[in-house]
Amino acid sequence: MRREGYRRVGFLLSLFWLVLCIFPLWWVLVTAFKPPLAVSGGATYVPFWDFQPTLQAFRDAFSGIRGDFYGPIISSVLISIVSTALAVLLGSMAAYALIRFRFSIRLLAGLLFALLSIGGFVVLTELWNVSVPYALLVALFVALPAAVWANGRNLPGPIMGNDDVTFWFVSQRMFPPIVSAFALFLLYAETGKAGLRLLDTFGGMVLAYTAFGLPFAVWLMRDFFESVPVEVEEAAMVDDIGRMRIFAQIVLPMSLPGLIATSMVVLAFIWNEFLFALLLTSSKWQTLPILLAGQNSSRGDEWWAVSVATLISIIPMILVATFLGRMMRSGMLSGSIK
Amino acid sequence: MNDRVKHLFIWPAFLLVLVITLFPLIYALTVSFQTIRIVPPTPPRFVGFDNYGDILANARFWGAIGTTATIVVISVVLQYVIGLSVALALHHNVPGASLFRVTFLLPMFLAPVCVALIAKMIFHPVLGPANEFFTLFGLENLPFLTDPNFAIAVLITIETWQWTPFVVLLMLAGLQGLPAEVFEAARVDNISAWRRFRDITFPMLLPLSAAVIFIRLIEGFKIIDTVFVLTGGGPGTSTETLTLFAYNEGFKKFNIGMTSALSFLFLIVVIVFGTLYLAGARKLTQRYEQ
Repeated sequence: MRREGYRRVGFLLSLFWLVLCIFPLWWVLVTAFKPPLAVSGGATYVPFWDFQPTLQAFRDAFSGIRGDFYGPIISSVLISIVSTALAVLLGSMAAYALIRFRFSIRLLAGLLFALLSIGGFVVLTELWNVSVPYALLVALFVALPAAVWANGRNLPGPIMGNDDVTFWFVSQRMFPPIVSAFALFLLYAETGKAGLRLLDTFGGMVLAYTAFGLPFAVWLMRDFFESVPVEVEEAAMVDDIGRMRIFAQIVLPMSLPGLIATSMVVLAFIWNEFLFALLLTSSKWQTLPILLAGQNSSRGDEWWAVSVATLISIIPMILVATFLGRMMRSGMLSGSIK
Repeated sequence: MNDRVKHLFIWPAFLLVLVITLFPLIYALTVSFQTIRIVPPTPPRFVGFDNYGDILANARFWGAIGTTATIVVISVVLQYVIGLSVALALHHNVPGASLFRVTFLLPMFLAPVCVALIAKMIFHPVLGPANEFFTLFGLENLPFLTDPNFAIAVLITIETWQWTPFVVLLMLAGLQGLPAEVFEAARVDNISAWRRFRDITFPMLLPLSAAVIFIRLIEGFKIIDTVFVLTGGGPGTSTETLTLFAYNEGFKKFNIGMTSALSFLFLIVVIVFGTLYLAGARKLTQRYEQ
């Protein structure tokens, strides 16, 4: 008796939440087809009954009289697909290395790296007036080999293992993004002065977003690779097949569901990303979220136009979410969320 | 040995993160101790901790921390309570659970900018459906976006709407991972559903809950897109969040030394809140284990 009561409450709660989830989506869908009168006359909900739907807003948007729509769509598609592919590829490689090999990094070597790179950078820019990008490059090329060399010595102090390396990757996500986005903006501006244009370019955006997506890829792919049996790889190794080939031809295909799921999560994050695009692009490579944020100030109450723009950004993500939901139900992702 | 190949696997990712994420930080750190203006251009001047001092003395900074903390704390509590309840309902297979499972995920995958644009229509004080709903109760034309308290409430609503799915997703996975035998035994002993939840399910989910809330707190502190579109930080600066404040400082006043200092202070705020939270969560978990 009590049990049935709980079930009823649970059902009502779920139903309530479902309505709450669906309503805003329904609203934006029907608003895209509204004629101006159906907006200015108060809220309307059901096409053909409340108002006569029209395709005018879509025609306006794609005929270009309301500014460039294709540009941001194309840049969004190109940037997010290329960066997702790169982030998932590099992230999988790193995740695989973290699962199958042992890394040990001495804390002192890490500290030496931090000291050399920060100190070297400050000395180069402040005392010798080297320009920022070169100073960073030089500092990197001095500090990195020094740290690698130091790591090989028999230094005292704690040694960090694979879990710490993983944490290092994932902790990139814990930074407030404004910190790295703003720093990256400053750096891109400096490389621009030195002749390498990265602000508002395809390359600059792909670099930024690949680094942005990497932590997710490493984190998620590690769990997927863990479930690939070692025996298969060991058999391949006996046959003297190189690690790279094992990775590309055996491990990756075996974790295909995980690869797809990870790509979709990373793709969603990059597709929806706002802050980096806001700081790093200005006109040529503006992405959809920036276009959308601009719709708001320039359009006022022209809700049909805003809704069309919003739908363009939402629909691919609804497909992604539905697909992921199906994968999850069929158990393909079981064990991946821990 | 074959082991050497491991470097080939990890170095590309390592270098990319180093160059794109960490190296700019070194530069920003040095900039934060200088006065640099782009407009009007002034040569960089070393000012020590002046930028940090100025920000700490700035009421807007503390206001932004207050606003961000209010939005994040309240919305995360709501997300957790609603998320866990929905996850429990789905776990116990209420009618229509399979349909719910697909739809529940949706809000999480939408761009926050889109969500804010939709919210702006829904919460329009005259033409929006929210107004129509509240008119039923005689509350006409509420100033949803122009009154500071209402605006913050709307932002909390949006955050809750968008991120509760994340809690549902993870808590559901957690519920499915719990050992079934314990619940069988409890049922045989005729322990009531509420006590089963209070004494078994909830304590067992506590570590996962702590992690989920931690992720949401950290992510929530980054909020900018929604506020940027919905209120622009207004009215006045009453809904300005930390990220938006940093953005406004840097890109409206072009004072990059100040913005760099601000973003590092922001980092410190997140670390302080994070540490406090983790300490509290550990204590709570320990108390339950005894």
